[in-house]
Amino acid sequence: MKLLLVEDDREGAAYVSRALREAGHAVDHAALGRDGLMLAAGETYDVIVLDRMLPQLDGLAILRTIRASGVLTPVLLLTALGGIDDRVEGLEAGGDDYLVKPFAMAELLARVSALARRPPTQVTQTVLRVADLEMNLLKRTVTRAGQRLELQPREFQLLEYLMRHADRVVTRTMLLENVWDFHFDPKTNIVETHISRLRGKVDRGQPNELIHTVRGAGYCIREPS
Amino acid sequence: MALFAVSVVVLGAVVFLIAHGAVEEQLEARIRSEVSALQSEARLSGLHAVLEEIGERTGGPGQLEYGVENPAGALVAGRLSAPGRKAGWATVPLRMRGGEVEPIRTHIVPLADGYRLLVGDELERVEEVDGAILQAFGSILLITLLLGAIGGYLLSRDLAGRIEAIARTAGAIIEGDLGQRIGHRAQGDDLDRLSATLNLMLDRIATLMDSLRQVSNDVAHDLRTPLTRLRQRLELAQTVEGEAERLGLVRMAIEDSDGLLETFSALLRIAQIEGGARRAGFRPINLKGLVTTVVDAYAPSAEDNGQSLTLAEPGAISLDGDPELLTQMIANLLANALAHAGAGARIAVNLQARPDAVAITVIDDGPGIPAVDRERVFDRFFRLEQSRTSAGNGLGLSLVRAIARLHGGEVLLYDAAPGLKVEILLPAG
Repeated sequence: MKLLLVEDDREGAAYVSRALREAGHAVDHAALGRDGLMLAAGETYDVIVLDRMLPQLDGLAILRTIRASGVLTPVLLLTALGGIDDRVEGLEAGGDDYLVKPFAMAELLARVSALARRPPTQVTQTVLRVADLEMNLLKRTVTRAGQRLELQPREFQLLEYLMRHADRVVTRTMLLENVWDFHFDPKTNIVETHISRLRGKVDRGQPNELIHTVRGAGYCIREPS
Repeated sequence: MALFAVSVVVLGAVVFLIAHGAVEEQLEARIRSEVSALQSEARLSGLHAVLEEIGERTGGPGQLEYGVENPAGALVAGRLSAPGRKAGWATVPLRMRGGEVEPIRTHIVPLADGYRLLVGDELERVEEVDGAILQAFGSILLITLLLGAIGGYLLSRDLAGRIEAIARTAGAIIEGDLGQRIGHRAQGDDLDRLSATLNLMLDRIATLMDSLRQVSNDVAHDLRTPLTRLRQRLELAQTVEGEAERLGLVRMAIEDSDGLLETFSALLRIAQIEGGARRAGFRPINLKGLVTTVVDAYAPSAEDNGQSLTLAEPGAISLDGDPELLTQMIANLLANALAHAGAGARIAVNLQARPDAVAITVIDDGPGIPAVDRERVFDRFFRLEQSRTSAGNGLGLSLVRAIARLHGGEVLLYDAAPGLKVEILLPAG
């Protein structure tokens, strides 16, 4: 993917750029808000990673400007401000996701790939498929190899989120935020226990496992290779 | 002071003008009525009766002055004469019996056959009144200036003294002695009330400073241990031989720093909530739905611990609040119960609408909290002896209390015999 990183901290930017390039992305870096704004408006990117606090032109101001000029590129906001109001403010300004510094690089990579828009046909999809696992979003049913699976509502939501991001890593924090709407550390292995239950229903007794644990990063649902 | 003197002078001038006018008015009115009496006498009884009348009246003490001039201008009766003057009002000099000449306010009116009648009164009477008024006001002005000067001096000396006392206290506080307070009378004036308010402000600042100092001490003290551990791991990673072991140490070091960062953000969060800045984000909340979501989230973990986690089916309860914070508050309580109640414990969550409050209770039958520690568990970083070794930063209940208080509520701990009962009371919306 082609990414734009707008970040004034030289060392941090170098570190993030390197990690993104190692993950196979092409990265343009702008250290100043003004340059970031010009690049964001002029080039086509898959995802923009925008630091919220920049000298001269504030990150939120840039975000509002590019949104006002009709640029719909997904934006991941990075910030040292961890307050809840700050997050809401960032999302209201047109951000698509919000990551508080300091973050694990795996978290950033997972969120960047989660943000990249999939082909538009999938938006209207009513059935999600990964190998022989099938989720019908209208009937709210799930089958594996034609066998009906009985899922709790929360397990259904969890599986839906994983399947919508199939082949991509989703982190524990992304699941907490998107499935439970928990924007804090619940201090208990909520995600792990739910995933383990979901695995019990989806993968137990099957020749191939679909739900994988990605060490140090999160989880991923994908077709067996 | 100068303003005061000027106003006395202005007042004096106004009184003088009014009094002067009134006295003159009175004098002229007396003359006018005498003139009209003599005029009608002349009409009814003839000139000779007027002449007779004047002859009788002239020269008596306190009497008016009179005069009648013949057509040639010669005086035929009385003493007052103004040859050549037109009829009307005039001030005419008259030589009195003592020899001195006095100005006489005179009314000159024509009588029949070219005769003229003059009636007047000494202007001295008006001047006497003027003099009296001027003298009185002069004395008043003098006394006023004198009293004003003395009073002002005394007042400003008192005021300056008291302001000096406030400045001295402020100076001592600037020097670092936050214990200083401004002395003042209980039932005093504006300055006393100001001093009392300033003292209250100083009390509040002192409380805040104390809590700030407490937090800094806590941070310095409680973060030293994990930082030391982190440093030791990194040091070890530098010297250790095996690659796998090195990576293990690095991973643990990252976990240590995550824990430290988590502690910092929890501290920040508590500070933010205690500052009350988030009250603006309040909105109506379905509390039943919120509690149900959290209990459902923790249920599988409780099950894995062999614990039972139940929620008594509550009625619909709504209140105004911050959904994210209330979620975190209940999550913290459940995480605490799961972590500390022990395997096999029963944890019951209750949601109740009472007449004046909404009560959320979490009851477990674990080891509970000794009575002596029940208040201290709310302190930042405080951890019970028995839980020192388990995960956690000792900030969970501080955060719970901060959130409850932000919503105007309170957190209460009871002995559930055995176990712990945590009750959160929130004012009903």
